[in-house]
Amino acid sequence: MRLLHLLTATLLGAATGALGGTSKKPSEERFQLYHGKAVSSSPVKLSDPSYRELTATPRDYSVAVLLTAMDSRYGCQLCREFQPEWELLARSWTAGDRKGESRVVFGTLDFGDGRDIFMSLGLQTAPVLFFFPPTTGPHATVSPEPIRYDFTGGAQAAEVVHSWVARYLPDRPHPPIKRPINWMRWISTFVILSGGLTFSYVAWPYVLPVIQSRTVWAAITLISILLFTSGHMFNHIRNVPYVAGDGRGGISYFASGFQNQYGLETQIVAALYGILALSSISLAVKVPRMTDPRNQGIAFFAWFGVLFVVYSLLLSIFRGKNPGYYFSLPPFM
Amino acid sequence: MSADPLQALASAGKGESTRGLLRVIILALIAGASIASRLFSVIRFESIIHEFDPWFNFRATKYLVANGFYNFWDWFDDRTWHPLGRVTGGTLYPGLMVTSGAIYHALRALTIPVDIRNICVLLAPAFSGLTAVAAYLLTNEMTPSSSAGLLAALFMGIAPGYISRSVAGSYDNEAIAIFLLVFTFYLWIKALKQGSMLWGALCALFYGYMVASWGGYAFITCLLPLHSFVLICMGRYSTRLYVAYTTWYALGTLASMQIPFVGFLPVKTSEHMPALGIFGFLQLLAFLDYVRSAIPSRQFQTFLWLFAGGTFGIGLLGLVIATSAGVIAPWSGRFYSLWDTGYAKIHIPIIASVSEHQPTAWPAFFFDLNMLIWLFPVGVYLCFQQLADEHVFIVVYALFGSYFAGVMVRLMLTLTPVVCVAAAIAVSTLLDTYLSTKSPKPEESQAVEGAEGKKAKSGLKSTSKPMVGVYSIWGKSMMVSALAVYLLLFVLHCTWVTSNAYSSPSVVLASRLPDGSQHIIDDYREAYQWLRQNTREDAKIMSWWDYGYQIGGMADRPTLVDNNTWNNTHIATVGKAMSSSEEVSYPIMRQHEVDYVLVVFGGLLGYSGDDINKFLWMVRIAEGIWPDEVSERAFFTQRGEYRVDAEATETMKNSLMYKMSYYNYNNLFPPGKAVDRMRGVHLPEVGPTLSTMEEAFTSENWIIRIYKVKDLDNLGRDHMSAAAFDRGQKKKKATKKRGPRLLRVD
Repeated sequence: MRLLHLLTATLLGAATGALGGTSKKPSEERFQLYHGKAVSSSPVKLSDPSYRELTATPRDYSVAVLLTAMDSRYGCQLCREFQPEWELLARSWTAGDRKGESRVVFGTLDFGDGRDIFMSLGLQTAPVLFFFPPTTGPHATVSPEPIRYDFTGGAQAAEVVHSWVARYLPDRPHPPIKRPINWMRWISTFVILSGGLTFSYVAWPYVLPVIQSRTVWAAITLISILLFTSGHMFNHIRNVPYVAGDGRGGISYFASGFQNQYGLETQIVAALYGILALSSISLAVKVPRMTDPRNQGIAFFAWFGVLFVVYSLLLSIFRGKNPGYYFSLPPFM
Repeated sequence: MSADPLQALASAGKGESTRGLLRVIILALIAGASIASRLFSVIRFESIIHEFDPWFNFRATKYLVANGFYNFWDWFDDRTWHPLGRVTGGTLYPGLMVTSGAIYHALRALTIPVDIRNICVLLAPAFSGLTAVAAYLLTNEMTPSSSAGLLAALFMGIAPGYISRSVAGSYDNEAIAIFLLVFTFYLWIKALKQGSMLWGALCALFYGYMVASWGGYAFITCLLPLHSFVLICMGRYSTRLYVAYTTWYALGTLASMQIPFVGFLPVKTSEHMPALGIFGFLQLLAFLDYVRSAIPSRQFQTFLWLFAGGTFGIGLLGLVIATSAGVIAPWSGRFYSLWDTGYAKIHIPIIASVSEHQPTAWPAFFFDLNMLIWLFPVGVYLCFQQLADEHVFIVVYALFGSYFAGVMVRLMLTLTPVVCVAAAIAVSTLLDTYLSTKSPKPEESQAVEGAEGKKAKSGLKSTSKPMVGVYSIWGKSMMVSALAVYLLLFVLHCTWVTSNAYSSPSVVLASRLPDGSQHIIDDYREAYQWLRQNTREDAKIMSWWDYGYQIGGMADRPTLVDNNTWNNTHIATVGKAMSSSEEVSYPIMRQHEVDYVLVVFGGLLGYSGDDINKFLWMVRIAEGIWPDEVSERAFFTQRGEYRVDAEATETMKNSLMYKMSYYNYNNLFPPGKAVDRMRGVHLPEVGPTLSTMEEAFTSENWIIRIYKVKDLDNLGRDHMSAAAFDRGQKKKKATKKRGPRLLRVD
């Protein structure tokens, strides 16, 4: 009972506070106040009352508010990813527009500071980005309802949100985004580069024979070819899973369907290609160079058997991918 | 006695001229086989042009034959991209059309009456025979083994990776371009080996032909400089390289600039910069070579360092300035997506929407190349044994070819030649080793080993020992028979793949009836023929861009957009018209003077390539231009599903595409039983209504549906209320109270 009482009291208090705020200050004054805050630190950190005051209706300015939940308790990954981009956008916009000619205020409302707002808006998820268009003045729109930004594509870069905001602010200046120079990256690049140069200068006599070794180059070439022809680039572009369950608690190593594959699957295929190539190389190059007839015979039959069995296995795997395919070789018929 | 015929045969094969004759006969047979294996579709269906792009090439060829070369060169086509038109003569690669036009006129001159359509249909198989010969020539430059070339020709002739783009009827640029690619490489190797200006000029000539034929010429433009660069890095600069490269570059670039579509690109865009850079680099090297012979070596060292540093600095500065000033254009989108694989998906939805630009999964490699795919690394390894200049070429080509083929399905085509060459080297090495009747004697071979134990230092470790040979006759026969089995399997595989996967014209669909007999689904041609016979000559047809070329070619009617996707905004306009509601679409269609709208619907037949499946791409492309008015999100339900049944979103149900696809569809079924067989869902009982257009034609299996856009209403009403009136729904306002009716008596 007491709890309920307390709750109503706070709600009432908040409501009267908000009402009072609206009635007290005219739109121009509110804009100057919050723009002044924004100049010192943008985006403006809002709370329940200030959110209500800022977005109160009649207003001749626009407001972009990010409702977020930064506290680690809520585990909002998207909020944390988007926050720096949002701050960058707000900062560079305000810095490029100190006089407030674009008449827009950027604000952030954290769930911790504005629980009631989240409740009253019925928000279940964060982050949410609202854009409140002006209701009076030359740029007034018909509907005072805020426009909601679509976060379905994940955390977007500041430039994307910038163009979204700019779309609703025609005929006004759109200060561009200025990304700060990443000193850390420059310094680390410089250090790594100079370190690498020094190392290569010192190690040159040892590295040179490796670079000039034909076997090393042959190995690099063959491995890259095997990677590319076994669909590694497909994995890289499509971000396919490494393996997947088969629905019965086991692991399915091969994706069903001709256009699909798993990461492990391509590695298996690359290994099979590699074994086939290696046995062919041995049969073509190594075996006829053996001088001892007995050893040569053993090596020949070993490589020949490997080639035969592995090719049969490869065909059977391919039949699994392409049900209409019916060519096969023993032993994997 | 029985040895006599054998002896005779063996001695007959010894003579050089007999061998030459045999080789010619075998090559001719291979060329014949490669032509024959591409004729499946002609035998099964008829002599018909396939797919989409070939229809444009066919139409352009007809124009060329009818109007002559100069008119073709200046051709402005006002029947595509209405109302913009297209400067067709300046925006196509004319090589293909000119080739068939030349063949046509040559045959006419020989008084052989032949239809231009048959030339177009059979051009690709004929050129594949030439490609087999070119592969033979290229491989012969790589290895002294005489069998390798013939094997390469055979592989090239029947490998499905190449057949996929060169069956009869597939009248596309690739049909002749792969021959030109392989032949240009052959000429390049020839020029490089001999340091000959003649071969270099021939190489440039065929390079020019290649540029005139296919946009993929950039592959040669990048590969030859890369090969030269690798040779220079290996310390193999020579005057042969200088002569071959500079001849090719100077003449080839001039030749390529004669094509209006290419124009000044070779000196402006980044794709061509490596070739220019290596050209300059070779001049510097030649200059240094000259200076070294003229001044003492101590001074030369200082000179070298100063010179190299200065050149590098000036070059870099020039490049930066030129790029930032916009003299050199940045990488074009299609090419850029090869390097930064995420680029296309974000920036250019139209590129990402084309299935040819998707990456390649491993089954596709095996499907297209079968056992060649694992013989390929073997051949590349064998190239490392000698590693002469031409072997470096194979290695470089193999690396880059396989990278590009992995990134883009359609570049399998450029990989196939090198795979065939490398695999042929591998198989011929195996055959040469195991298919000899001579067996070594153990004592002799030991003596040989003692004599030249350590000789070659620079080669691969595995080949440092001398070749001995195979002792066991059993092993030899096993290996040879296994190889024969593999090769037979390869031939069977290729025939099967060609017959099953690559021989359908896609204009005509084939299906099997329950009793196993073939049933032809000919809806496309039925619909295009309807358009040709029932509409005005200048009736504008709106459809998604995939069908633009076919409408232009088969129905001969103007289209709004087609497969030459040069104007993204115009395509987005069509996408917006398709994905918006009737109220929005109708003004767009009126503005573009659209008379008919054509949609492809696979719901009745379960045909997967229909417009509802492509619809999201239309939405995405339209959203790229009008983010306020079209939103991809609105086509997905709350739970993020793309649905077409009763649960579909309002935006989806109101979109023109949805309405046109499912209009009247539920009347085919008993009430409440309407089902979309493609997506396997039940449709709502009440189908969509259309008020701004009326159904004009629906093909037999409902694959093509054509709608006529209504003219403005006679009474000045808007179409919604007019349609509502026709349905008998009176307006609420109109129901005024009237007095009781009176019988008038005069």
